[in-house]
This record gives sequence, structure tokens and C-alpha cells, in this order.
Amino acid sequence: MTCSPFDLRDYLLGELAESEHRQVELHARTCGGCHEELERLRITHSTLLALRDEEVPQRIGFVSDKVFEPSPLRRAWQAFWGSAPKLGFASAAMLSAALVIFTFLRPAVTAPVVAKADTAKIEALVSQRMDAAVVKAVAESEARQARKTAELLAAAERRFHQDLQSVGHEYAYLEKSYNVMLHDASFQTGDVK
Amino acid sequence: MIFRAVEDTDLIRRARRGDVEAYNLLISRWEKRVYNYLLRVAGDREEALDLSQDVFLKAYQNLRKLDDPARFAAWLFRIAHNEAFSAFRKRRPEREVPGQPEFSGDEIPGREGVFPIELSIAVTTALSQLPEDQREAVVLKIYQGFKFEEIAEILSCPVSTVKSRLYTALDVLKSQLAPLQSRGVT
Repeated sequence: MTCSPFDLRDYLLGELAESEHRQVELHARTCGGCHEELERLRITHSTLLALRDEEVPQRIGFVSDKVFEPSPLRRAWQAFWGSAPKLGFASAAMLSAALVIFTFLRPAVTAPVVAKADTAKIEALVSQRMDAAVVKAVAESEARQARKTAELLAAAERRFHQDLQSVGHEYAYLEKSYNVMLHDASFQTGDVK
Repeated sequence: MIFRAVEDTDLIRRARRGDVEAYNLLISRWEKRVYNYLLRVAGDREEALDLSQDVFLKAYQNLRKLDDPARFAAWLFRIAHNEAFSAFRKRRPEREVPGQPEFSGDEIPGREGVFPIELSIAVTTALSQLPEDQREAVVLKIYQGFKFEEIAEILSCPVSTVKSRLYTALDVLKSQLAPLQSRGVT
């Protein structure tokens, strides 16, 4: 056991933060027990590192070697999935094929079957209703026309009477004027009787 | 180190697209580390080489499953760990402890001074006497330089377990190796 603020093994193994690392170093300078323990750990660590890495006795089989070589099918599969354009093209082709298949295999839309008798009956009914509607429309139109004609005639008659009255008044006025003028002329010539 | 990491991720992306040469380059970068990890865990050169082949083959086949190419190292060592311990399980009836020392612990030199070759034999012996899980934790930390979190990911266990294994192993190794070194070559 040591009295170090942090585990000396974590210090040795480089698992402490920088500030923690410094604290342990400062502590080990003043604490004899921790200093000795740290030395033993350092010696152990450096002794372990005396065991050097060995060279690989023979190269590891590379992918191009037979052991790594994928089957032609697998290569094609990998190449296919590794290529975005090919994948996109394949998706589009599949979509097109699906559309074509759907078009041909889709069940035909069947028109509702109506019995001939029903059709004839419906046609007769429609024809009857249409005739009635036409007759009604024509009658209404004629009535409208007659009403309008009567109104026009009445208006024309009223106007004729008004004009006639106006002409009568003007004739009376002219007659009066003529009489006055005739009287005045007789007076001037002394023919007044 | 960052530059190297970026290059590795680029190689991984290219290898995923079917670029064989990119994967070859990736192997050449990692084969020594993987081989030495397996050598120290398995304790046998021939087996370490066979396992290394299997590891790189499996890695190639599963490269598309690697979610984050930046975590390639931990992922690769996870495969190596699985391959090694799968092999250990198969052979366990014949050989109980992997990496059985070629000489006993009694033969550790030290009384008359230690030479470097003897030192490395002593280390190999001390490592081989550790339980499998502790030895692997030491190898991943001391020799491969992984962080606790990465080791936990490789071994699929909590960080606390990694620390516990490592601390116990260090205490054992310290008791065996520190006196040896202080008496011998420094």
C-alpha cells in the first residue's frame, strides 16, 4: 500500500491525466515509501520491455494469395455491392422490371355488367325525362317570348297614342297660330268684318 | 500517430471497396503487432503464425462489419483474442496452460548476474506463469500500448476487470523481476 494521491501503477501505465501525473511525481519526491515502490514498478516495466518484438517468421498470407482469394461469385458480389453506379443502375432496372411485370400481370379492370333489359329501361326513362325537360323548356321559352312580345306591343301602342296626342296638340296650336295671323292680316288690310 | 490513423482508415475504406492492395498494405502494417501479441499469449511461434493468418483472413471477411474504421486496432485485436482463445479451448484437454514455459521458474537466473538474453528468458518465463487472462492484459497494455478502455473493448469486459487483472499481474511480475534486475544488469 502507498500513500500516493493516485495509484502508482496507473502513473506507470500512463493512465493518469497530466495534473494527476504531476501530483504523483511531486508526492514521490517527498515520500520515501512511494519513491521506492515507484522505482520497483519502473524496473519491472523496463524488464518486461527487455522482451523485444520478434519479426514474423514468414509473411502473412496476403489477400492476393489463394487462401484469401474469394470465389468468382463472391468477387462479383463484392464488386457489385462496392460500386454505387452499378447499384443505382441495378435498382433502376429492378424498378423498371417490376413496373413491366405489374403492368402485364395486373388484373384487367372489368366494367360493371348491366343487364340489357335494365339498360333499355334506363334509356327509355332517360329519354322520357329528357323529352319532358325539353317540352318544359320550350314551353317556358315560348311563354317568356309571348310575354315579352305583349309587353313590347303595349309599349309601342302607348307610344303611338302619346305621339298621336302630341301631334293633335301641335296641330291645334298651329291652327290657332294660323287664325291669329289671318286675323292680324285682315285687320291691317281693313277687311275685318 | 494521427497521420497514421488517417492513413489506416483510408486503407480500410479502399479495402472495403475491393482494393486488394490496400488490404495487403494494411496487413503489412499490423502483422508484426498481431503476431507478437499472439506469440506472447499462445507462447508458440508456429501457432502464433497460424493464428495470425486466421485473424487477417477473418478481418478481411468481416471488414464491412467494422462500424468505425478509426477503431480498427481494437477491432483487429478483438478478432485476435477470439481466435486465440477459441484455439486454446480446442486444445485444452491436451495442454492445460498455453505458453507453458520451456523451462521451469526455478531456472530463472539472477544470482550470478543477468545478461540480456537471460533477462528476456526470465520475462518469458514470468509471463508464461501468469494465468491466461492476466498475461493477456499485460501483453495488451505493456507491449501493445492499448488504453484501459480499449482493452476492455477487446476482451469484452469492464474496465475494472482489466485493471484488476493487470494490477494483480504487475504485483506478481514485480516480485519476480524487480529483484532480478536490481541485482543484475541495469
